[in-house]
Amino acid sequence: MATEVLWWIFATAIVAASAGVVLSRSIIHSAIFLIGSLAGVGAMYVFLTVEFLALVQFLIYGGAVTVLILLALMLTRMGVSGLPEKVNGPQAPFAAFVGVALLSILVYAAAATTWPNNISDKPFPISIETISEKLFVDYGAPFVIASVLLLVALVGAIILARQEEGE
Amino acid sequence: MVPLENYLVLSAIVFSLGVYGVLARRNAVLILMSVELMLNAVSLNFVAFAAYLDPNRITGAIFAIFVITVAAAEVGLALAIVIRLFRNRSTSNVDEAAIMKW
Repeated sequence: MATEVLWWIFATAIVAASAGVVLSRSIIHSAIFLIGSLAGVGAMYVFLTVEFLALVQFLIYGGAVTVLILLALMLTRMGVSGLPEKVNGPQAPFAAFVGVALLSILVYAAAATTWPNNISDKPFPISIETISEKLFVDYGAPFVIASVLLLVALVGAIILARQEEGE
Repeated sequence: MVPLENYLVLSAIVFSLGVYGVLARRNAVLILMSVELMLNAVSLNFVAFAAYLDPNRITGAIFAIFVITVAAAEVGLALAIVIRLFRNRSTSNVDEAAIMKW
């Protein structure tokens, strides 16, 4: 019972923070809301008993990615003119329509589907041992490829953002 | 305990908010943040299915790890592109970066 109450509190917090990300007038406020939303999803992983993923979510998303985004915001802010920029384009009402339509389709699909009988009513605990075994044995090749991807992305980001001669 | 459908509806809400953000926002960094929201909603879905189905097949949780990895790489590259754009065109709004539009 207590778990359910906590779940609803966190779910409300996630929805509120995500709405804050896409509706806030200020870019910095959006970034702060994003931290809240990502941390909330990390809490959801705890509810799903996948503690390792929750840890990864807090460290990489809540820490590294949001700091990177905040850094880019600081580097690309106009700010000096003092004029509040329009944050939404003229297509915003259409975008809202698409969002609501997609939401209704997804919710209807989730409610209308009859799930197979073997689905449980509470999550199985997924231990860190099971995850490591799967990740390093069954998914060893994708793991190595992902490391190459990270290296390529790192080098590419450095080359793109580098200050060139004569600029 | 919370049934699986609750997770599905929660991630549907977050995903739709992300779609709205991607379509409506002008600033490239804000669009990127909305993409992060969508990626998170999808990972939540994956993990929810992995936790509620067979405990011996946890491919969803593994996939969420790879989603986080690729998202980190994507954020790094996208922000490098945004900084580049800002340096060349003094704007990070996607509707003002229209030199390739005819």
